[in-house]
Amino acid sequence: MAALLAPSILLLVAINAYPLVFAIGQSLHDGGITGAGDFVGLENYATALQDPAFWNAAWFTLIFTVVSVGVSWIIGMTFALVLRNPFPGRSGFRLLLLLPWVVPVVVSTTSWNFLVATQSSPVPTLFRALGFGNVQFLADPTWAMITVIVFKIWGSFPFMMLMMNAALQSVDPSVEEAARIDGATAWQKLRHIILPIIAKPIYISWVLAAIFTVNDFPTIYLLTGGGPVGATNTLVVFAYRLVFQDFRTGYGVAVAFLITIVIVAVSVYFFRRINRAPLAN
Amino acid sequence: MSETQNLVVARHDARRAQARPTSRFERKQRIRGWTTFAVMAIITALILTPIINIIVLSFQGGQTLSGETIWTFDNFTEIFTETPVITYLTNSLTVTLGTTVFGVIIGAMAGYPLSRLRNRFARGYSLTLFVVQGLPVIVIVIPLFVVFASLGLADSLTGVAIIFIAGSMAVTCWMMASYYDSIPFELEEAAWVDGASVFGAFVRIVLRNSYPGILSAAIFSFLVAWNDYLVAVVFLRSEDNFTLPIGLQYFFQQNSTDWGPVMAMSVVMLLPPVIIFAALNRYFSIGGVGGAIK
Repeated sequence: MAALLAPSILLLVAINAYPLVFAIGQSLHDGGITGAGDFVGLENYATALQDPAFWNAAWFTLIFTVVSVGVSWIIGMTFALVLRNPFPGRSGFRLLLLLPWVVPVVVSTTSWNFLVATQSSPVPTLFRALGFGNVQFLADPTWAMITVIVFKIWGSFPFMMLMMNAALQSVDPSVEEAARIDGATAWQKLRHIILPIIAKPIYISWVLAAIFTVNDFPTIYLLTGGGPVGATNTLVVFAYRLVFQDFRTGYGVAVAFLITIVIVAVSVYFFRRINRAPLAN
Repeated sequence: MSETQNLVVARHDARRAQARPTSRFERKQRIRGWTTFAVMAIITALILTPIINIIVLSFQGGQTLSGETIWTFDNFTEIFTETPVITYLTNSLTVTLGTTVFGVIIGAMAGYPLSRLRNRFARGYSLTLFVVQGLPVIVIVIPLFVVFASLGLADSLTGVAIIFIAGSMAVTCWMMASYYDSIPFELEEAAWVDGASVFGAFVRIVLRNSYPGILSAAIFSFLVAWNDYLVAVVFLRSEDNFTLPIGLQYFFQQNSTDWGPVMAMSVVMLLPPVIIFAALNRYFSIGGVGGAIK
């Protein structure tokens, strides 16, 4: 039976494990994209840890991830709860609300660019008309941060909705009924009955969404390119730029490795927590 | 009053007592249902603005002198006759179909031991997949580019498809494993007793009952391959090999003010996943993701 794992293990070794080992070597050299370069030990890592641009990107990656995972979960969970009760057009809404996640990021960033990029775009025009003044959604550092985070929430809340929708199906209606008879309010029922029952899928959805968000490249690259003045630079975009634009492969790979170490540590930590989640099924 | 009359009155009262609150309850339910509908319709319309925007702009061809918007198919005619969008589309379809077929086969195979084996090895492999799933694509892509260049797989659709298969593998394995979990083990045992091999029972009993799981995994693989940008932008260098995301971006950079054709190309790119979701949405279950983590 274990033989059925063979193709997947082969692929795992060839496409994930081997390049990872190769990358360790690259991160210890000062080479470019093709040349191996000289062995420099941990110098690239030291450079990263002393580079303000690295910390800037790390900081924004953290904000970007935590805010977009948190808010998209709240929105996704709310929709999943609303869509549990029958109402006219329910299945239609369920499908329509998935679209931001289904539509390719390259396509949606193009449309968002149209909507917000310049002063004459529809959304800035609307903001002016409503008396909010001239908002530069992609050119002002703070607004650019808000814009990419809102975009990310927009594109990932359907994933949360799907995950929570599936999780809610595992909640036994008789448990809820019992809580209702005991006089629990809707909020109490949610807080003390439903959420604890689906704690494990909730953790899983957070971890997966966080991984997807940290690794997200096109959102930032296509909306702001990491700008203005690096305000929306994430570690992945930073590493990409180092390798493919500055041709500092060793340094870029070292940055990518630092992301990897954090992600692996966090996912192993959560992996253990998931299994200790209350009422894990 | 006679017994019968009594009974009739009682029954009548009972019916009235039952009927009135029910209809009031029902009416309340209906009002609440339509209120939910109205609120959801407004929210959904707001959320979908960026997507509606793409479709509207793709059919717009500037304005007449009197300021009226011209509705036209010209943008579509233009991209199909004057840009290599057909090449992009063919490349995207090739890569996506390759990824979906091989990705599902590999996931369907690996999911079986992950679902049925309860030993340390299966758990360890499940954890490995979980960790691999979290690896930044960027850390793998850079060395792979060097390796693939030496194998002639850089700037090749095959190379890109291989990376997509590996990239979506963890999730497809979980999806399949969690679907297999819902199939009773007794079915295979019965087949084994009847002399079927492990592989035979897997194919004829388990796989044949797993179409929804297979469909879910296929939809997921499709989305990964169709929507990816990073792998394609790193690996695909010549325009003949561009997939739609790269082609669209390339076209956008050259015609950033000419929104009509750009949005028409966007429509070409968003239609396949939207159609697939519209048709197969009810089979798509992502709930199993992570459920296989034991």
